[in-house]
Amino acid sequence: MNTPDTPFVAFDPEEQAEEQARLSGHTIEDLNDYLDRGRTPSDSSIDDSPACTTALTRLERLRSALRRVDSAAVDREAARNDGWVATIIDSIRLETRAGRRIPLASDSPVARLALTEGAVIGVLRTAGDGIDGILISRCRLDGDVTEPGAPITVRLEVSVGTDGMDAGESVPVLTARLRAAVYAVLVQQTELSIAAVDITVTDLYLRTTPSTPEGDADE
Amino acid sequence: MTTVTRLAVASALDTASDALLADRAADGDVRAFEVLVRRHGPLMRVHATRILGSNDETDDVVQESFITAWRQLPTLENGAAVKSWLMRICGRKSIDRVRARRDHADITETDAAAPAALTPHHVAETQEQAEALARCLAELPDDQRRCWTLRELGEYSYTDIAEELDLPVSTVRGLLARARKTLLRELEDWR
Repeated sequence: MNTPDTPFVAFDPEEQAEEQARLSGHTIEDLNDYLDRGRTPSDSSIDDSPACTTALTRLERLRSALRRVDSAAVDREAARNDGWVATIIDSIRLETRAGRRIPLASDSPVARLALTEGAVIGVLRTAGDGIDGILISRCRLDGDVTEPGAPITVRLEVSVGTDGMDAGESVPVLTARLRAAVYAVLVQQTELSIAAVDITVTDLYLRTTPSTPEGDADE
Repeated sequence: MTTVTRLAVASALDTASDALLADRAADGDVRAFEVLVRRHGPLMRVHATRILGSNDETDDVVQESFITAWRQLPTLENGAAVKSWLMRICGRKSIDRVRARRDHADITETDAAAPAALTPHHVAETQEQAEALARCLAELPDDQRRCWTLRELGEYSYTDIAEELDLPVSTVRGLLARARKTLLRELEDWR
């Protein structure tokens, strides 16, 4: 593969002497580091060397060519439909996050009933998902849930979708709706004694992809 | 009605931030986790395949990585960093496989299965070039290709690569230098 006129930056991968001689004492790796640093602080021994600038251009071309290679490879993997995602999801479904055991009262002296904390958190998440514009991220039950009647504070971290809010909606309106939904579902499905529902809005997100720019946003 | 709500949530989750998805998944939300699998799994598959040198074990490695991730998500402090965290897990699992292979005396040096060539006719030159580069990358000596992949896809520092592969930093630098020069040569052929 050794052509008589060896292309300019195609140095022998195993050799460094020629490389340094041609690149004013630098190596391809030095130049690559220089690119990584965003060419700062500027180094005149590189910038003023035509050989180095040519090599830098080639390195940049290599980078963008490899980015294309990588994204094509990723796209190919994303297009697979041999069920690899389903296989993964099926296997993790077997490992639920149970958390603590939340007892339920029972009339029978021999039956012991309980909910898992994970199930309750799942129910709360679903309640939140039922409200358009709200996504619950984290959910905690503070207090001794294993003790019947102990005061429990529900702490929710939520994301609120702000754009496309209907008339009369606002962050407090949505969170009030969420608080009501959370109380309702807990009363309905658990025996927890709820002292408070604390909601922290940690993120405001865009509900619709901004495909229609500006136009109706000002309405 | 419920179907509508579920669909709306599905699309809201699809566009949700990594941080939110990681938090929900840490709390046990399988659907949020699935979005993360779809979003980052393809890159992890490429990463694993390059480190392993073929895609024979990619399914296994990526699946193991996600199972580990599911178990350990509650310990991830910054959900926004979930992508690089997943890539780390995947990189480590892939390297473990390579090591295990080496321990089993019979080293079946998989002939670095070059990426399946696409139909040759009617491809733009840039695409041919991309394919040639992809092949060149796949045909790099194993140790060079592994360093390269950890650096470029895994975004590891030189020190991290050295630690992960149990090599001196100077060796890692040398391997990356050789890989880079080989790839530059390939690119020169396309001028």
